[in-house]
Amino acid sequence: MLKFILRRIVFMIPQLLILSILIFALAKAMPGDALTGRLASNPKMDAHTLMELKHKLGMDDPLPIQYGRWIKGLFHGDLGMSIIHQIPVTQLIAGKLGNTILLGVAVLILSYLIAIPLGVISGRWTDTWADKLIVGYNYVTFATPLFIFALLVLFIFGFVLGWFPTSGSIDIQAQNGTFAYYMSKLNHLVLPAFSGAIVSTTVTIQFLRNEIIDTKLKDFVKTARAKGVSESKVYNHHIFRNSLLPIAAFLGYDIVYVIGGSVFLESIYGYPGIGQLFLTSIMQRDYSVVTALVMISGLATLVGTLLSDIILSAVDPRIRIE
Amino acid sequence: MKVEIINPKQQKQKKEKKHGVFSILWREIVKDKLALASLMLLGLILIIVYGTSLLLNQDKIVKVDLLSIYSPPSAEHWLGTDYGGRDILGQLIIGARNSFTIGLCITLLTGCIGLCVGLCAGYFGGKVDNTIMRVIDFFLILPMLMLIIVFVSILPKYNVFSFILIMSAFLWTGKARLIRSKTLAERELDYVSASKTLGTPDWKIIFREVLPNLSSIIIVNLTLNLAGNIGIESGLTYLGFGLPESTPSLGTLVSYATNPDILQNKWWVWLPASLLILVMMLCINYIGNAFKRAADARQRLG
Amino acid sequence: MKKKHGLKFLSLLVVLGMLLSACSNSTSGSGNTASKGNAEENIGKFPKSVKNNKTPIKDGTLHYALVSDTPFEGTLNYAFYEGQPDADVMQFFDIPLFSVNKNYEITNDGPATYKLSNDNKTITVTIKDNVNWSDGKPVTAQDYEYSFLVIGNKDYTGVRYGDELMQSIVGMKEYHEGKASNISGIKIINDKTLSITFTKANPSLLTGLWAYAMPKHYLGDVPIKDLAKSDKIHKAPIGFGPFKIKKIVPGESVEFERNDDFYAGKPKLKSIILKVVNPKVIVQALKKGEVDVAGEFPEDQYMAAKGSKNIQLIGQIDLAYNYIGFKLGHWDAKKSVNVMDNPKFQDKRLRQAMAYAIDTKTVGDKLYHGLRFPATSLIPPSFPDWYDKNANAIGYDPAKAKKLLDEAGYKDIDGDGFREDPNGKKFTINFLFMSGGDIAEPLAKFYIQCWKNVGLNVQLVDGRLAEFNSFYKMVQNDDPKVDIFAGAWGTGTDVDPYGLYGRDVSFNYSRFVSDKNDQLLADGHSEKAFDHAYRKKIYDEWQTYMNDEMPVIPTLFRSNITPVNNRVKGLNANYGTDVNAWANVTVTSATPDVE
Repeated sequence: MLKFILRRIVFMIPQLLILSILIFALAKAMPGDALTGRLASNPKMDAHTLMELKHKLGMDDPLPIQYGRWIKGLFHGDLGMSIIHQIPVTQLIAGKLGNTILLGVAVLILSYLIAIPLGVISGRWTDTWADKLIVGYNYVTFATPLFIFALLVLFIFGFVLGWFPTSGSIDIQAQNGTFAYYMSKLNHLVLPAFSGAIVSTTVTIQFLRNEIIDTKLKDFVKTARAKGVSESKVYNHHIFRNSLLPIAAFLGYDIVYVIGGSVFLESIYGYPGIGQLFLTSIMQRDYSVVTALVMISGLATLVGTLLSDIILSAVDPRIRIE
Repeated sequence: MKVEIINPKQQKQKKEKKHGVFSILWREIVKDKLALASLMLLGLILIIVYGTSLLLNQDKIVKVDLLSIYSPPSAEHWLGTDYGGRDILGQLIIGARNSFTIGLCITLLTGCIGLCVGLCAGYFGGKVDNTIMRVIDFFLILPMLMLIIVFVSILPKYNVFSFILIMSAFLWTGKARLIRSKTLAERELDYVSASKTLGTPDWKIIFREVLPNLSSIIIVNLTLNLAGNIGIESGLTYLGFGLPESTPSLGTLVSYATNPDILQNKWWVWLPASLLILVMMLCINYIGNAFKRAADARQRLG
Repeated sequence: MKKKHGLKFLSLLVVLGMLLSACSNSTSGSGNTASKGNAEENIGKFPKSVKNNKTPIKDGTLHYALVSDTPFEGTLNYAFYEGQPDADVMQFFDIPLFSVNKNYEITNDGPATYKLSNDNKTITVTIKDNVNWSDGKPVTAQDYEYSFLVIGNKDYTGVRYGDELMQSIVGMKEYHEGKASNISGIKIINDKTLSITFTKANPSLLTGLWAYAMPKHYLGDVPIKDLAKSDKIHKAPIGFGPFKIKKIVPGESVEFERNDDFYAGKPKLKSIILKVVNPKVIVQALKKGEVDVAGEFPEDQYMAAKGSKNIQLIGQIDLAYNYIGFKLGHWDAKKSVNVMDNPKFQDKRLRQAMAYAIDTKTVGDKLYHGLRFPATSLIPPSFPDWYDKNANAIGYDPAKAKKLLDEAGYKDIDGDGFREDPNGKKFTINFLFMSGGDIAEPLAKFYIQCWKNVGLNVQLVDGRLAEFNSFYKMVQNDDPKVDIFAGAWGTGTDVDPYGLYGRDVSFNYSRFVSDKNDQLLADGHSEKAFDHAYRKKIYDEWQTYMNDEMPVIPTLFRSNITPVNNRVKGLNANYGTDVNAWANVTVTSATPDVE
């Protein structure tokens, strides 16, 4: 197992390296640069000063030099400066990462909390009204795009009913570190986490239900029943654990979404996070932020898939890694 | 002991249950009334959509008429107009055609690629599996959103087909991973070892023995994908990177609902598209269910 | 089987149920605004201040919404900020040294007074005695000088140095190149007074002078190259405005508390809470009374906000205009000058015809519900003294357009509905239009149709709208694919059009140059132009001249509207440029009006 993990980590290095070259080339290939947007707000700048500024920011050095500078910085943990926010990228990302991870984990936990019981009920008692209700709910949430759903949830629970706050991640008047502070943070988390979770339950429920239906018909289940094992033990012990396989495979994957954030949720709920940072940085051509985020998420994906494989091998002896 | 002489002629008259793939599928659908209804409804929708769109003039539909912005449904515009004064019904029809084409093509493309890659990786295992998985990993770490934005900005001709190609290039990886993990499990089973002992070539084992056993998850995945891909561009449109504006699609119609004014007061812009997506999804799902049962003999109804 | 049918129905019902609950909130008034007879709002109809006759309560708290779909960046200093949201945050705690009049010229009513020398090249600024930073220290002349020292410094990382006025301070260039340790043109007379001398007399001094001081005692120990990222700007900035920052949640919200020491008197509100609200939900937030004032209110939500009973809309004309420009040449970067060498649009009758062909009134009325109205010159009416309404504006007259085109030799020879050029060759015009928002595409199409109606074949570049960065790249680089382009300019508070239309200015995107233009622009900011009447005469002449030459077709003027809750009192539409604005705002009840 250890050799396996080590070998995978060794493979990560060339992958990340190729990614870094690709992303760097891509960032430079996009039309416009970070100064294009700046100039829109201050059109009275003359060409000479513009050249000077570009030089100061290192934007007119030949590409390989810029790339080299960036890679060197990466190894020292220096992700460069965000031209738009004017603070170091590390500081910028660190500030928003906390929020994003919090929301991501909340969505993850909520979605499994909802999906697994529903999937089990649906799979175990197929064709009953409970199953039909769940399947129906599945279709509706699947057909609704996330941003529409998030807006609806916000309108109904935030504005109309007024049960939850409608924007931000925290109430500014709450004192840091007090109980009220944590409660406020949780309070602001409910609506976005809820919208995000509901929409992501679809696939899990579908697969779980399908797996259970398939497993139900397998011979070993018949054998267990013939041996007199109680129905609930058959389900909870035998069928359930076998059906979790595809879901376990996705678990490592989900980490990527936790770190990556959702630009829809963050924008609609005014919840500053990484997803939105990524999108606006692309639009504003803030290269250092874009490349840093891509590298981070690339690393997270690779780690996630590795985790996924480890979990899969632990859960399913047939694919055990020696 | 009675010896029964069976009349050969009578034997022939016994109804022969055909075992061809399509007849199995067809029987399964017919037996399930819901699937049959879905098939007919979907067929009807597709015929109307594809047929009418041939007759409709796309240019006329997208012509901007500032005087009738946001008109509610009327005799002239059966489903009212949108922010450019353009007829919604026309956009709905052409949009449904575009969306369904996109959904179908992406599903088929990603399905084929994902299936082949996943099967090979899972079946051969070892070094082949490793290499393929690393390639897949690389695709996974590519920033999809950013690449889409770059392509949209750079490509001079950006239409439905380029969109399909771009999306397919990214979306096959999930399927490949799924198929691969299932194949890994399957190849340990006895029937595979048995076939190998018999000397059956690998490709035959993969496609004629392992593949059918994966059919249930493949079909579930395919139907989910097809249903999901129909609205796939709505998210991108919300961000501003969907199809070019003069190409109507269901996703863009639905994304208008993010404007609260339209959501509450001008329902005719987005509601028909949402309902159409929902209906098509449901139909595809019920038909898919029938296919799934057809694939697994133990679950067949007929 | 029947149960399964029921399921399908059930799913539909669930969807409908959700939709109905959303629909049930629609305000009765706005239900049928889509019908014909769309009432047009003339910006003149928007009151400039809130009507409220009730008595204010003491020590109220106001909720201000910054309407934006992205978090604010948080660079809270005028020398370094970039995005407009940051400016919205700064207006409460960091104000300029001068207040301005209706033409945005500095006056003596603010925290500082000024005097101009006889040759108009030196301005002497005296900061009033009771102006102190929010940490108690007085605002000194050294603080004001420090601001210039930061901007002119070679390590400065912001964009304010590019300003021509800034660079024309005596000694600035030497300081910038590191040859001098101070700016010789800035002289400290005493702790509250300094003088700034410029190399030439330019009336734009009164509208474009850099008017912000920076707290030297607080920021002075930070190296200038690190200033922009310093916590002293991002986390704990100080200013001498009516409020001071109590707490910041980065990107989301800011809590301000009253600055009791404010020079113009104790502000009436006790605290202001600013939070970022997504444009898609701002109307809801206003209706529920969650916010009292919505700054940066999006135009496309105007109709949704209009019928609400608990808010009022105040507004004023924006310092901006939309235009369609012709590419008449290219920018010679080596010589730093515009060269007008593109023959395609040399005939001014063609340009005028294209201006006559477009119906901007319909655009303003139908697409913008009257929030935008036809532009008649290149100086917007937000400069009441400089805007010339008699500048021979070109209106909507397609018959005249056709006549001009016939005269210029553009006739339809082959009968396909499109005119050929005077040489008989096919004539296609490539139109570059920026994407963004729902309105962009119908607007582009509408313009194209207007031109089609007079026989001109206009096509979108690459057949589609251009994204923001691509748009500017193609326009700045004079991409040959682009014949005409549609954009918008924010003029800023300085009326001088030189920065946008001068011969050696790279922002002159149309690349139009002419001796008369040079002359008028130079006269417009010459020393003689300190005489108001003279300057007006010059600018009137310039506006008429440009309406005749038409290198750029002014299309629309715009308005800024701000929805305000009924409980707010004392807020005027010019709060963005009035330094004391927020000190005078109060609320007349402890809870906001709810619809």
